[in-house]
Amino acid sequence: MGSKRSLRLVHLYPELLNLYGDSGNILVLRRRMEWRGISCEVEEVHTGDRPRFTDADIAFIGGGSDREQRIVCDYLLEVQHELSAFVEDGGVLGAVCGGYQLLGHSYLMGDEEVRGLSLVDLYTDRGSPRLIGNIAVKSRISPQPVVGYENHGGRTHLGPGVEPMGRVLYGFGNDGQTGEEGCLYKNVVGTYVHGPLLPKNPGVADHLIARALERRYGVVELEPLDDTEELAANKVMYDRLMEKQAKK
Amino acid sequence: MRLKSAAATNLGRLVHWGLTTALHRNASQLPGRIALALDPQLIAHLRTKASKGSIVVCGTNGKTTTNNVLAASLEVAGMRVLCNRAGANMVAGVASALLPGGTADWAVMEADELSTIHILPQLRPTYLVLLNLFRDQLDRAGEIDHVQDTIVAALAASPETTLLVCGDDPLSMGVAVRAAQAGTKVLAFGMGEDLGLAPDRVPEARFCQTCGTELCYDYRSYAQLGKFFCPNCGFARPKLDFVATSVEVDRTGVSFGFSRADEPARTIHAGFGGVYMAYNLLAAAAAASLAGVDAARFQQALDGYHPDNGRLQHFVVDGREVVLNLAKNPTGFNQNLSLLLADDRPKAAFLVVNDNGNDGRDISWIWDVDFERLAGEEGVRRVIAGGHRANDVQVRLKYAGIGARMADSVAEALRQVADLPREFPLYVLTNYSALWPAKDELERLGERHG
Repeated sequence: MGSKRSLRLVHLYPELLNLYGDSGNILVLRRRMEWRGISCEVEEVHTGDRPRFTDADIAFIGGGSDREQRIVCDYLLEVQHELSAFVEDGGVLGAVCGGYQLLGHSYLMGDEEVRGLSLVDLYTDRGSPRLIGNIAVKSRISPQPVVGYENHGGRTHLGPGVEPMGRVLYGFGNDGQTGEEGCLYKNVVGTYVHGPLLPKNPGVADHLIARALERRYGVVELEPLDDTEELAANKVMYDRLMEKQAKK
Repeated sequence: MRLKSAAATNLGRLVHWGLTTALHRNASQLPGRIALALDPQLIAHLRTKASKGSIVVCGTNGKTTTNNVLAASLEVAGMRVLCNRAGANMVAGVASALLPGGTADWAVMEADELSTIHILPQLRPTYLVLLNLFRDQLDRAGEIDHVQDTIVAALAASPETTLLVCGDDPLSMGVAVRAAQAGTKVLAFGMGEDLGLAPDRVPEARFCQTCGTELCYDYRSYAQLGKFFCPNCGFARPKLDFVATSVEVDRTGVSFGFSRADEPARTIHAGFGGVYMAYNLLAAAAAASLAGVDAARFQQALDGYHPDNGRLQHFVVDGREVVLNLAKNPTGFNQNLSLLLADDRPKAAFLVVNDNGNDGRDISWIWDVDFERLAGEEGVRRVIAGGHRANDVQVRLKYAGIGARMADSVAEALRQVADLPREFPLYVLTNYSALWPAKDELERLGERHG
């Protein structure tokens, strides 16, 4: 392999959006790059900092409480044009839970409609009850079903032509009705599978890394890793959910 | 007592007798649940059984220990106490503990934070002790804001209750400030000095509860607890009514000077360690002092207190020491890792995470635990993952740089460390529903030591 490859990862407001162990995602991206000899520079954007997306490869937005999500939304609206240019240029953006809602045109905080970042054609309103529990999703970006946990009052509606991340195999997904979960737009992945999305779903982690490498270095083959533990954890949860499904 | 309450009480007692005497079963919940079905206002009708009043203990971590030490100290001082010792801390558990015949001097009850809204308006306790608030069981409890709102509302519905709060915890103080504005009397306890411990992660509450500015600290004890102040508004650790000074903390025990207001300090010491234990004991000593128990009696109670609830219990199995402790959320786990790392012997660890309803079904929080601290430690010779979510723990450890095997029981974990010298202890850290099976196993396999 030629000169050492390197990716820059921008972690947006980790001290605000860290509700459910979101830092696990950054750790997983970093390790999976390091294990392949790709150097990974993580830039944490803190309150008061203005994020730069010009030389970013991957940006990540986690989930927070309503109050914290609102603060982050205000910060990001100030750099909306740069973030939007990054996305349109094929920049990789991962957004989970509250971060996923921010991608759209609007979401609800209490009864107030809050303007979102309009990066993806979607919007979020609310329903009752909250949709809480383990979830499994079949997605083209992962060879294994995507498994994890969701906990959201919001119902997210995709605009025409926006592809969902996948189909719900167990759980609720975007709205508990359509069987759709998350969104895919250019190199954006948004999902309600919250907190540590990537540890048990190495396929999603590698999808993000591969897209970023592709954008910076052209077509690349990702070196396979030994994912015995990750895939075992994925399968144990998937099998458990399918067993519960069968009993329903 | 009204006829309905009397009937409910008698029925509850009958169920209690049936469970414990005839069936030899645990009676911490069912009698109360049945009696409450007959009389939903039962707690309000039983509250007068405690002639001097009642004390409710709540907070994310340390409720059971604080509550039981407090109850023991009142008993040593000759008072009769009604107490939910087994930790059944929702409405039914509190009602069950109030049922037994005869009157008492005090009711001492631990309460689940979200249950305070049901318990306080009826029990109208003399004191509510608020130990700390950490992120825990988000799928059930919701975000911390919701827990805070609930406690504020519970206090508003029980205006005669004095709040005894951990002044070092910004999140608990967030509750206290709002309660005080609504007229609640507030007393605070905290550490009077920098404990000089290695800093751990601050998982939450880095921002002012009033204005949102990042908080500053003169010193920090653990997690978000310490002498904090907001550089922007007046929100800060208050003047302390109960203070610990000369605090010594290590894995074998804690000792500190306890003083109320400006009175001279009296030394309190206990044979169970950890900085969180210093806070628990300070809270218990403060509440005991308010109930008229002096420091000497409190110490006497501590000397005779041997936890039998899986909290920091020591066992010996085939010559190997096994330390069992509860670790049910990131802060609890991080505190346990500190305790384990303070043990200078080489050691092994068995980390057990279940996801039953009472544990919280969402275990995302394991990514907020600093397992990385174990990775560089030469003294940590083996780490084993267990519980319903053993696979997730194994993956978490892998990304922390630790290769871990899995075991489905304490016995299996012990077999996996059998090749290590017997002087190396095994730490068994479990979350809630895994604790009792682990304790049962250890009681069967070995003998208790302290």
